[in-house]
Amino acid sequence: MTTVIKAASTLAAPADEKAAAVLLAGQAARECLAEARLSPDAVGVLINVGVYREHNTFEPAVGALVQKEAGINLDYLAHPVPGAAFSFDLMNGACGVLNAVQVAQAMFSTGSAERVLITAADVHPGGRAALDDGYPYADLGAALLLERSATSEGGFGPVRTAGSGSPSETAGYLPNAGYLPTAGMGAGGRTRITVRRDPGFAGQLLDLAADTTSGYARTEGLDLHRTLLVSSRPTADFAQRLADRLGLPQSRVLAPDSPGGGGGLPHTAAPILGYLRAVDQGLPEDVDQILFVAVGAGPSAACVSYRPQDR
Amino acid sequence: MTSDARGSRFEALGAYLPSTVQSTPDLVASVVRPPDVDLEHITGVAERRVYDRRPEAGEDSYGLALKAARDALGHSRYDAADLDVVVSASITRFRDGDDFYFEPSFAGLLAHELGARRAIHFDVSNACAGMMTGVHLLDRMIRAGIVRNGLVVSGEQATRVAETAAREMVDSYDPQFASLSVGDSAVAVVLDRAVDEADRIHYVDLMTCAEYSHLCLGMPSDRTEGIALYTDNRQMHKADRLRMWPAFHGDQLAKLGHGFADEGFDYIVQHQVGTRFIDYVNRTGAREFGTEMPESLSVVEEFGNTASTAHFLVLHRHLKAGTARRGARYLLVPAASGVVTGALSATITNLGV
Repeated sequence: MTTVIKAASTLAAPADEKAAAVLLAGQAARECLAEARLSPDAVGVLINVGVYREHNTFEPAVGALVQKEAGINLDYLAHPVPGAAFSFDLMNGACGVLNAVQVAQAMFSTGSAERVLITAADVHPGGRAALDDGYPYADLGAALLLERSATSEGGFGPVRTAGSGSPSETAGYLPNAGYLPTAGMGAGGRTRITVRRDPGFAGQLLDLAADTTSGYARTEGLDLHRTLLVSSRPTADFAQRLADRLGLPQSRVLAPDSPGGGGGLPHTAAPILGYLRAVDQGLPEDVDQILFVAVGAGPSAACVSYRPQDR
Repeated sequence: MTSDARGSRFEALGAYLPSTVQSTPDLVASVVRPPDVDLEHITGVAERRVYDRRPEAGEDSYGLALKAARDALGHSRYDAADLDVVVSASITRFRDGDDFYFEPSFAGLLAHELGARRAIHFDVSNACAGMMTGVHLLDRMIRAGIVRNGLVVSGEQATRVAETAAREMVDSYDPQFASLSVGDSAVAVVLDRAVDEADRIHYVDLMTCAEYSHLCLGMPSDRTEGIALYTDNRQMHKADRLRMWPAFHGDQLAKLGHGFADEGFDYIVQHQVGTRFIDYVNRTGAREFGTEMPESLSVVEEFGNTASTAHFLVLHRHLKAGTARRGARYLLVPAASGVVTGALSATITNLGV
């Protein structure tokens, strides 16, 4: 048994309207399902990994709202053939998609689900990332549909994580964090967010990404020269710096910019964005697999290989 | 529903409750426009614990979670360094006092602070089903052989929404009325592989009926400074919503050829919304399953609705006090915004509390 990608989708928020994570994730989810020619009710588990959301909503799970938007098994009692879906949010900054892949592997391995839909949408709580100079991310949504495959060929390798052992605080506060300071927010808490990225955080994340990638390649016996790295994009030059650090050609590390322009960085959607770019451009002949690496606040890192089934 | 030889068990359970007690009359006295109903009579909540806002008390959501995690590890055979996974499930995510965090994950910070240096870590956010969701995922990861053990923890500064409701609500039909029944607490539970039938999680099955996901929304208030919870109580607790649990649970059991009565539950723990709610859900269960419900355990009278921590706070208090028997089979039924329902069945004998 292995875990494979059945479909993937990403979309940027329209430039002229307020963005909503629920709508972006819901639309990306519907596109995924259409690509896979599946009914929404074919999804057993929905994991939403987005961090920043409209109005700074903290209840219910954004995943439940996305489930509604995508029309997945909405009402167990009203449905003519009772079908159940379970949705929740999994939050671990930029690493969310890869953590969710590991959870999906556990679901598939125990027969708890046949398909798991991961959604990753981040929007500025006020709806327009471009209007807040202190907010580095793009209003962007993505979805990744995973499926249990009966064969043992290809698919995801084991997910490895790292980071909690590294120093998480500098001088008593977190160098890389996103939060709403509620003291002093007045009645404006639905549209504000503070993202702190201290000087030096990018270097720390680069060290962590390089160590995690090398460690994964060593443990799993991967030749990095026959691998396409799909990385998160904590800074615009991160892919280049990671390639240099690992001694790889620039073309072997993908960390695409957000579609739609606007200058914001892709956040939790980055691995899906990178995967789609890799698929679009086609894997080079001398590449056996993709290696996803994500690093973000904590610091936290995650890494997993993916071998398309036709390789 | 899965039940296999590699199942998991509850190994240790911890809790932390702030020492400050607020009675319902005291809370009502702080409400700017007091409700035109007897709050204590309607909810059954006589008092609740409230956080100490002094930084040195360490009673923000994160601090509460940390204390519960340490308590659980104090009753566990594992040290923090042995943990393979740390999952945090707080709805209220206050750290450094008044800062509401979206990243990094509380789980990563807790893992670091506890000394769980190599633990996989992530937060789950699933309203009042958060702890149950964390347990569900950890159970699956243990069954799948990905990890051997882990900690699921939640600290809830739930009375933050009561403070906002006290300032803003206009009457008992106000969408913030339910916020007056909440209380602060933290719980943490350690899971590992089951080794015998004395301690085993038999199944955790959860479902989200997203048609009703808009009925309870939490976000900062747009009127005064604070976080708020807006609940459509009438729709949320409609008879059809409450029938979801017996319908879903009954269908899951039917797949195994079982009925509710065959399960031999000794105790049932409903979400601690209020005494009337608990009675109503149990009556719905009895009617739908066509059998008497097991003994219903609660702590809502003393601690209010403690959000994601509620079911595990009930277990902790009753096991510690000896008012729930060891060697018994427990059924935990979530009822959370989303709308989430389901069932967790476990035999508990040697659980450290």
